[in-house]
Parts: sequence; C-alpha cells; structure tokens
Amino acid sequence: MATSSSGDKGTRNLVIIMVAFIVVVGVIFSIISNRTSSNYSIPAAVSEADGYGIVLNPTATPKIDVYVDYQCPACRTFEILNGGYLNEVIAQNKAKVVFHPMTFIGPESILAANAAACSADENKFIDMNLALFQNQPSGENTGRWTNDSLIAIGNAVGITSNTFNECVNQGKYVKWTRNITVESGKANVNSTPTVLVNGKPLDRDTEYGDPVKFKAALAAAGVQ
Amino acid sequence: MQEKFKVAQPWLTLLARLTLGGVLIVAGALKVGNLQKSAMAVRAYEILPIWLANFFGYALPWVEIGIGALLIIGVAVKIMGSLGALIMFGFIIAIAQAWARGLSIDCGCFGGGGTIDPEDTKYLSTILRDIGFLALGVFLYFYPKGRFALDK
Repeated sequence: MATSSSGDKGTRNLVIIMVAFIVVVGVIFSIISNRTSSNYSIPAAVSEADGYGIVLNPTATPKIDVYVDYQCPACRTFEILNGGYLNEVIAQNKAKVVFHPMTFIGPESILAANAAACSADENKFIDMNLALFQNQPSGENTGRWTNDSLIAIGNAVGITSNTFNECVNQGKYVKWTRNITVESGKANVNSTPTVLVNGKPLDRDTEYGDPVKFKAALAAAGVQ
Repeated sequence: MQEKFKVAQPWLTLLARLTLGGVLIVAGALKVGNLQKSAMAVRAYEILPIWLANFFGYALPWVEIGIGALLIIGVAVKIMGSLGALIMFGFIIAIAQAWARGLSIDCGCFGGGGTIDPEDTKYLSTILRDIGFLALGVFLYFYPKGRFALDK
C-alpha cells in the first residue's frame, strides 16, 4: 500500500515537471525566435533605422510609414483607394515612404512579403506592391499564393530577371520578415493597414477610406 | 440533497476539469501557431508596456496549454484550478477596461485579436463566458478531488 501511494506521487511529480519543462522551453523558444537579427539577408532598400522597412526616397520629408499585410482585405481596399496618390507622391519625391510588409495572417503573407522584398532589389517594388493587392486571393492561406504564382505576378509587372526568380524560390528574405514583425510590434502597430505620417497614425474612422481626406492628411504634414 | 451532492461532486469536478482544461488547451493551441498575432492581440488591449505585452503574447499560449494539460490529467487540481480562475479574472479585467475605454478590439481569446470595427466587438458575451470559466476554476479550488485524476 505504502509503495503504491509513493509510486503515484512519483508519477504525479514527474508529470508536473514534464509539463512545466514543455511550457518553459516553449516560452524561451518563442522569445528567441521572435527577435530581430541583422545577420538575415536584407533587401538593399531596407533601413534598420526605419524598422527594417523598405524605404523609398530616403532623403525626402515628411516620412510616411505604411504597415500592411498582403493578405489583409482592408489593405487591398486602402491600396485601391489611396495607392495611386501615394505612388504619385513617391514618384515625385514628395515624401519618404517606408513600407512594412507584416506577416501575421500566416504563411502566404510571408511568401508575398518575401516576393515584395525581392522586387525591391529589382527597383520594381511599387508595381509589385500594387500587383500583389490586385491579385490578392479571397480567403487567407488558401494555397493560391505559392512561389510560382508570385513569380508569375512579378513577371506580369515586368520583372524577368533570374535573380528575382531565385530570390523568391529560395525565400531569401523570409527571415527578414521577422525583423519587420518585431519592429512593428515595437511601433505598437496592432492592425493593418496602419499609416503613420511623421510617426502619427491617421484617423482610422475617416482618413483610410476617403481619398480626399487621405490627401488632406498628407497635405497637412507638408506633402504638396 | 447533501447526500446527492456528495455522490455527484467527483463527477462535477471531472466535468469542470475537462471543460476548463479543454478550453485552455484549445485557446493555447490556436495561438501557439501564430505568436505574432498573439502578441498583437495583447498589445491591442493597451494596458501593458509594449515589451511586456509582447512577452505575454509569446508566453501566455504555452502557459494555457500547460495548465489545461494538468487539469485534464488531474494533477495539482487545486492549484491549477486557482491559476485557471486567476487567468480568467485577468481576461475579464482586460476586456472590461477595453470596453470602458471605448477601444474596438477582438479579445484574441482563441487566436485572432487586434483592432476591429466597433460594430464587431462582443465584449459582454466574452465577459459572461469568462465568468463561467472563472466559476469552474473556483469550483475546482474548493472541490479538487474528482474521478479519473492522477491526484488521489
């Protein structure tokens, strides 16, 4: 009787230790794998000081930060409504614009962000950014975004180089997306799209969904 | 009446363990696969400093799985029931303050989370549900001995 009860106690303690061990290892692993690293391959247009985002017009002012997830439907709407004007601003060097492709919606967001970063190396980021939203699948992680289909989207906007294909296929910038994640976390970005003008978020109720107000918000910050 | 409760209590404890434990495991497992989103969900409550919110986002799913597993196996039920109740109490406070401050967020209880449209918030039903889970934890604190548990 005594032996059986001490045996039970031993099993009980063993179970507690095992579960506690799994929890501690899980937490430590999660924290370690969610840190930034400058050892990752990083696109040429990326600046660490700008949250590892893809920077266009690095010397212009004001600064506009755009946080999106390529699978986010609201980001698609934002691109359709305001992307044209924003691209005009970029083309005319009227602002420094930093794109932060976030990946919290899942694996296909990572593939898309990687492909977008690859396109930045080909100086085609703006076109690719638009094309990704235009080709956004309905539904999340449906299997429709693969490296092959993303390369096809790249080809359609005129990226034909072999380096681009290899960059997408090898997932060259997949690890870089973790840096974006960590830095957007530090910037307290909790939904997409989020647009910061000189560090100040636009008004979520009005300025994202109305091109006139979006334009006005940029103008107020000094975009002529 | 008291006699009846005496007979039913070990089964009620089992039911409470499986329900609370199951909910915690499912909630943890759904979040553990997307910890970025989990951290985002915690940040969206705007209570904790960002570094601490991120830490909670990464750690909480694992802790939920751990407590849930021990409840289902039936180990240290008194302590795990209390911890489960404590976690639920924390969730209720967090959701209530978000509601009171007029934030528009998804609770992120079972994955998801972050800022959402104001008309999509469901603060009341979430709080009521969590009060139910809290009650299960409190029950387990007072009646930890039940059927099919490793604890004797």
